[in-house]
Amino acid sequence: MNHAVEARNLIKRYRNFTAVDNISFDVVEGETFSILGENGAGKSTTMRMIACRSPLSGGSLKVGNFDVMKNGREIRSMIGIVPQENNLDPDLNVKENLLVYSRYFRLPKHSIDKRCDELLDFIRLSDKKDAKVDHLSGGMKRRLVIARALLHKPKILLLDEPTTGLDPNVRLEIWEKLEELRSVSKLTTILSTHYMDEAEKLSNRLVILSDGKIISDGVPREIIQSNVKKYALEIRGLNAAEASFNHPKIIMQKRGSTHIYFADSMEVLTPLLQRFAAKQPILRPSNLEDVFLQFVKN
Amino acid sequence: MHLGLHNIHISDALSVWRRNLKVYLRLWKTELIAPVIEPVFTFFAFGFGVGALIGSNVSGMSYLSFVGAGVLAFTVLMRTVFEMTYGAYFRMVYQSTYDAILATPVNAESLAAGEIFWAISKGVIDSLFILPLIVIFGSAESFYTILAIIPLILGCLYLGGFALGVTAHIFDIDNFNIFFALFFSTIFLCGAWFPVDILPFWLQIIAYLLPTTAVIDLTRACLSGNFYARHLYELIYLLVVSFLAFEWALRSIRRRMVV
Ligand SMILES: Nc1ncnc2c1ncn2[C@@H]1O[C@H](COP(=O)(O)OP(=O)(O)OP(=O)(O)O)[C@@H](O)[C@H]1O
Ligand SMILES: [Mg+2]
Repeated sequence: MNHAVEARNLIKRYRNFTAVDNISFDVVEGETFSILGENGAGKSTTMRMIACRSPLSGGSLKVGNFDVMKNGREIRSMIGIVPQENNLDPDLNVKENLLVYSRYFRLPKHSIDKRCDELLDFIRLSDKKDAKVDHLSGGMKRRLVIARALLHKPKILLLDEPTTGLDPNVRLEIWEKLEELRSVSKLTTILSTHYMDEAEKLSNRLVILSDGKIISDGVPREIIQSNVKKYALEIRGLNAAEASFNHPKIIMQKRGSTHIYFADSMEVLTPLLQRFAAKQPILRPSNLEDVFLQFVKN
Repeated sequence: MHLGLHNIHISDALSVWRRNLKVYLRLWKTELIAPVIEPVFTFFAFGFGVGALIGSNVSGMSYLSFVGAGVLAFTVLMRTVFEMTYGAYFRMVYQSTYDAILATPVNAESLAAGEIFWAISKGVIDSLFILPLIVIFGSAESFYTILAIIPLILGCLYLGGFALGVTAHIFDIDNFNIFFALFFSTIFLCGAWFPVDILPFWLQIIAYLLPTTAVIDLTRACLSGNFYARHLYELIYLLVVSFLAFEWALRSIRRRMVV
């Protein structure tokens, strides 16, 4: 297995603040790798180091056999970057955004126009190609940023919170596009997110970052199975007396005004479900968020 | 010592330059009206207004001829400075254009160089429109007039570089006020509206230390065709300062953008 990215004891300090604290991970070629973490965990900082935008304070980082401290140019010509904040050029229209950007990659002139139309088609913005970027919806802007990152047919795609702030339909649409991309090319994708469902749905492997450290890593399903019980029952608005009881097979966790009961089988949770039926409890499979919140809470 | 200059890829800088050109061409009408209106009125105000009060010759020429170089250089330099302060700050901070560009193979030095080349080009475009006006108003008589482009380019290079370096150090747009207060107050010393030699000696020293004085004096020499030995020193001084300002801008943009 070839590694698209190899991080060893990676450290990033801003003055005396450590944003990324000695992390090591590998990204296998062709896989989707997620970096999960709450605000300020160090996701964007890690991404910026991979994109050669942020010099390392320690450790080593290789992208496709190149060293980020030495071969910035080579690395940036083989990665596509979708930054956390959209940074489309408001002075240019939709298609011009792609055309002007393609020059930075020195794409052959004769093929640029075709490539831009192809991508506009892919993200279904062909009929908006003369529109001002400011007139696009949030979802369209995001799609355009993704198209822009694909102009030069990168080997590695970096997505920093690709769907934050978008409505559920648009998120689904973007996920579909990403899956479509993966099915047609051997694209390695590295994405950061705070959405557990996103990481769970899209990634082959993931790391969970907290305060700049990796607190868990592996395959999403396995992380869930090894760290929390299979099912979760959410009940809102219980008082302390109602909520507390002891059962050897049930673990309780409180999040805000919601109590969550975890167990390995639905049957164990059924009595609770019936007892608090009036509170409209929700029974569901446990997800990465449960893992995540447990880790972060500790 | 490793110079930032060595990191520039000319064709990358050119791509950045072309991005700005594209935006400029879309807005060219508004972009060009300002540089034409401004010098015409400055010219009227100083040439005919102030000039009417000045009967005698100034530095061996009529005041109208004297002030032509001032109007030209002042307009061109000011446009460059605006481009490399507010213009660059907008692209860097509000529009994140720099961020987008640095996500491509283009490096910080090529980006900064492209920006400065652009600011210079804007100055050159402006001067090509202002020069004929100055000829029409009769304040440029020499065949060497067109050579004025050279000191103007160097002026744009040094001031544009300096301004971009300042921009790279600014985190609040209001801080430009200090820069502009200094810029506008010193520019009055630089021989645009009156000869430097009529200043008290200590102010003359300051004036001659300011590279803008050299830009204006060289521009005037080209418009009038009167060259002296001091113009050679001024040219060398300007070359040195331009190089330093340019290099400083490249380093400052890297330090700001690659953190
Ligand atoms: N340029 C900088 N100077 C100083 N501190 C910084 C800088 N950039 C990031 N940090 C700090 O480093 C930490 C990690 O930031 P980072 O942007 O990587 O977090 P993140 O995981 O992407 O968070 P979010 O989910 O909010 O985007 C934060 O505490 C942040 O304040
Ligand atoms: Mg982030």
